[in-house]
Amino acid sequence: MLGKEHRKFKAIPWVLAAVLAVCFAGFAQNAFAKEAFAESVFAEEAFAKEVGAQEAEVAEGEGKPEVEWSQDVFYKDFEGNPLKGIVSGYPAPELGDSDYNRYDFAPSRMLLWMANQQHLYFGSFVLAVPIFCMVIEFIGVRTKESDPVLSAKYDKLAHDLMKVSLTAYSWTAILGGVLLFTFITLFPGFFKYMAGIFRPVMHVYALMFLAESGVLYVYYYGWDKMSADPFLKWIHVSLSVLLNLIGTVLMYLANSWATFMQAPGGIDEQGRFLGNIWHVIHSTLWNPVGVHRILGNIVFGGGIVGAYAAYHYLSAKNDEEKAHYDWMCYVAMFIAIFGLIPLPFAGYWLMKEVYAFRQQMGITLMGGIMAWLFIIQAVMIGLLFFGANSYLHNSMARVKGAHRYMKYCKYMVLLLIVTFTMWMTPHTIVMTPAELKAMGGAQHPVVGHFGVMSAKNTAVNLMITCTILCFTLYQKANKKIMVPWQTIGNCWIAAIFVWAALNIIFLGVYGYFLPANQRVGLSVPQVTSTLTTLFACTAINISMFKDSESYGDIQWGTLSKVGAYAIFLLAISFTWLMGLMGYIRSAVRLFWHVTEVVRDNSPDAYTLTIGEAGKMLTFNTLFVWVQFLVVFWVGSLTGKKKVEEARAPQGIPVPAQQQQ
Amino acid sequence: MNKTLVATIILAVVVGVFHYVLFPIFTPKGFSWVLNQYVYFLILVLSIVAYNLILKLKPAMAWRGGVVWLTGLYFYKFILYPPVPWTLLITYMMLWSIGTFLYISQDEDTFREFRAPLVKVVTGEYKFARIIVFTLMPLLVGFATYQSLIPKFAEPVELRTVHPAPPATTKVHGKTYGLEDLQNPYRVDEQDNYKDSFPFLDADKQEYMKFVTEGGTVFFQNCHYCHGDQLNGLGMFSHVFNPTPANFVDPGTIAMLRESFLFWRVSKGGPGLPNESTPWSSAMPPWEEHLTTEQIWKVILFEYWYTGWHPRTFDDESSVGE
Repeated sequence: MLGKEHRKFKAIPWVLAAVLAVCFAGFAQNAFAKEAFAESVFAEEAFAKEVGAQEAEVAEGEGKPEVEWSQDVFYKDFEGNPLKGIVSGYPAPELGDSDYNRYDFAPSRMLLWMANQQHLYFGSFVLAVPIFCMVIEFIGVRTKESDPVLSAKYDKLAHDLMKVSLTAYSWTAILGGVLLFTFITLFPGFFKYMAGIFRPVMHVYALMFLAESGVLYVYYYGWDKMSADPFLKWIHVSLSVLLNLIGTVLMYLANSWATFMQAPGGIDEQGRFLGNIWHVIHSTLWNPVGVHRILGNIVFGGGIVGAYAAYHYLSAKNDEEKAHYDWMCYVAMFIAIFGLIPLPFAGYWLMKEVYAFRQQMGITLMGGIMAWLFIIQAVMIGLLFFGANSYLHNSMARVKGAHRYMKYCKYMVLLLIVTFTMWMTPHTIVMTPAELKAMGGAQHPVVGHFGVMSAKNTAVNLMITCTILCFTLYQKANKKIMVPWQTIGNCWIAAIFVWAALNIIFLGVYGYFLPANQRVGLSVPQVTSTLTTLFACTAINISMFKDSESYGDIQWGTLSKVGAYAIFLLAISFTWLMGLMGYIRSAVRLFWHVTEVVRDNSPDAYTLTIGEAGKMLTFNTLFVWVQFLVVFWVGSLTGKKKVEEARAPQGIPVPAQQQQ
Repeated sequence: MNKTLVATIILAVVVGVFHYVLFPIFTPKGFSWVLNQYVYFLILVLSIVAYNLILKLKPAMAWRGGVVWLTGLYFYKFILYPPVPWTLLITYMMLWSIGTFLYISQDEDTFREFRAPLVKVVTGEYKFARIIVFTLMPLLVGFATYQSLIPKFAEPVELRTVHPAPPATTKVHGKTYGLEDLQNPYRVDEQDNYKDSFPFLDADKQEYMKFVTEGGTVFFQNCHYCHGDQLNGLGMFSHVFNPTPANFVDPGTIAMLRESFLFWRVSKGGPGLPNESTPWSSAMPPWEEHLTTEQIWKVILFEYWYTGWHPRTFDDESSVGE
């Protein structure tokens, strides 16, 4: 089947298949870890006891026991007693002045925060872009037969994104180096302890980084060569899958350091490593943080790419460029909103686990000293949904046939505002004594009910459902449905949305009458209702498009300026929000480097005021955007040259293709 | 005649009649499902929409945007009762302003239509309006500056954390308790079925009710002066305190907390609070100096029984690695 010149590549699919199998095995192991874990813990403990007993016997003969057992701070055995393990490391150090270095111009903590945040921003971007490229390239390959022009467009978009990502990748590595040196030089005592625990993980991380680089370079530089042949193109798409797998593993490994610091496991009360590195990696927050970060990366990456496209759209010199960047805005926003919809649910899972780990930590976050930051977070999340809906409304306006649905936009805006008002009404209101007396108590008799979780869950689910409804209408905008069951289909879509909204509201109200532990469980059917609207209505919608006629093409290049600015709002909000949530998650450790194990004895072990934290977050946001501008500019240098070369012989630009 | 002008005149008349004639009728002293300010507001909004539709006025987009914004302001300022604090009013109006902007900018045409009169004012096409706007603007800025600089004598507002994070352990009457695993000892009999039952179902359990009654006695001897005989934070002394005593009936207080949290809070009182909760402004005494440990637990039991709330609990399996 393959030509002679391709026979030498015969081994590639087998190698890739083997690598994929290994990676999938790793993931499957992760997915079923909970079940398998109990068995392995039992076996390990029995084995360790046996070996320990033997060694103890030998040691007894010498008159001095060498094996010491200790109890895990987190893991428990089948009977609910702390799991025991053989002490395999040194106790956590009592850090003193000599363990902290500082410069005169800025506190060490601020410098570390900045280095960390910049690295995370870029890391997030370079992990997100390969996900987009994988999806976009796959769509391009799949549409090649039905629409070769569109397929080429998708392929070019993925290639262009990868080009930007390549520059950002080097930048990320440099920032990682800066972060590492900042740790070593400013917090040597703490880093020594962490390196002692995570020594093997750090080496694996470095090797994975090497593998990521190798696959990335082959993926990018082999793009044109491998596009020529259909088989090699599939290999190329597979490489993007491999790239994402390695990237995900890299991220999870790095996450383990942060989650260990927040909720440690695999060590005893003195901070001594108990010999099982998996316990240290797989602490209680590892999975929720991982899932939250993957979704966050997708949203953040979509926002960055969207802003990049929106900037080029607003500064485009001709209709062809406008059409291209308008379309690029749409693809980026589609991806960002796709990630944004499940993101709050992942956040809830993470918070639930934090609460379960330590009540104290949960209260500090949601009701204690960090609570005001959560109010700010609520505002930012609301802005994201406003921005997303504003973009969808403005996008709809350029679709022929959308006038049928545009009249509903104002009602959706009203619903969004009402739910957002519920979403961000604080439980504790800032007020003067005179206002308190006028209100008759600390809680307002009407809006005071919005300050608790039942109302918040209801509000956020309704906000998401409204966004899904808006997207459903956007999908239908230029379609003239021809299937005979269109009335039934539309009725089903309407019924599902109405049922979901009623169910969400009913469960929200019902939650006020239930104990807290049962109330938390109501969020599951609420989320299920929301996701049902997404999957069921999208499926029905797409089924109805069969043999549909078009009211006309989407007028790419005519997006209103408000729509383009909405994308900037989204991108900046994502960046700021990401910094904010990272700060909250990290600062909740208060005066601990590693919760309840390594105390932060530096002069910086204090919680910042909201204003100071806000300034730092804003600085980090501005700083990273300056860097992104530089990276985009560097990425565009080769692009311009290529475009000029490509255009020179033809003389005229190729007209933009219209997409249905 | 200009339709927008007609719409403005009718609006002024309608709002005037509603506000000065109907509003007092709809706000009697007692509660009513029909005669209340929310029903009044609904009728007002429907009336405005109705006369615009019937008379086919279709006023300019800028007019509609303005009316939408003012409707929100009217609701938060006059309808929502009791009045919300200034900070919340600003927050709500900020949201409403964003919503109004989304309404006027939902597509290129509506936004252009909205901007048109503003652009005409700025460019001078509406000469008279420009003179008024640019004369009033510096005066308004001056007035706002004056308002912000004028000395005021009101107590400053404080960003107070109402439910601070408790310490990991607390020492009461010489004994140290770990708050993470601490349980109310008087809930023992009900512990097995506790998660699946409602408090009032426990009422037939005599031993449980005995402890509740004892807790109630302690409450009415010591606590109700501030927290109120209905536990709603409106005791006879409550109005002289800032912050006011906690309202246990509110779903955002004891219903969200573990009993161990309450044990720490009651034992240590205001002085035991961390700085973010302004211990200097809390009037609650450290009750460990006046009550026994048993009495503290019983009064907590009573508070949950009376209000019908359950203390917060967590699934055991999610808090440990097994």
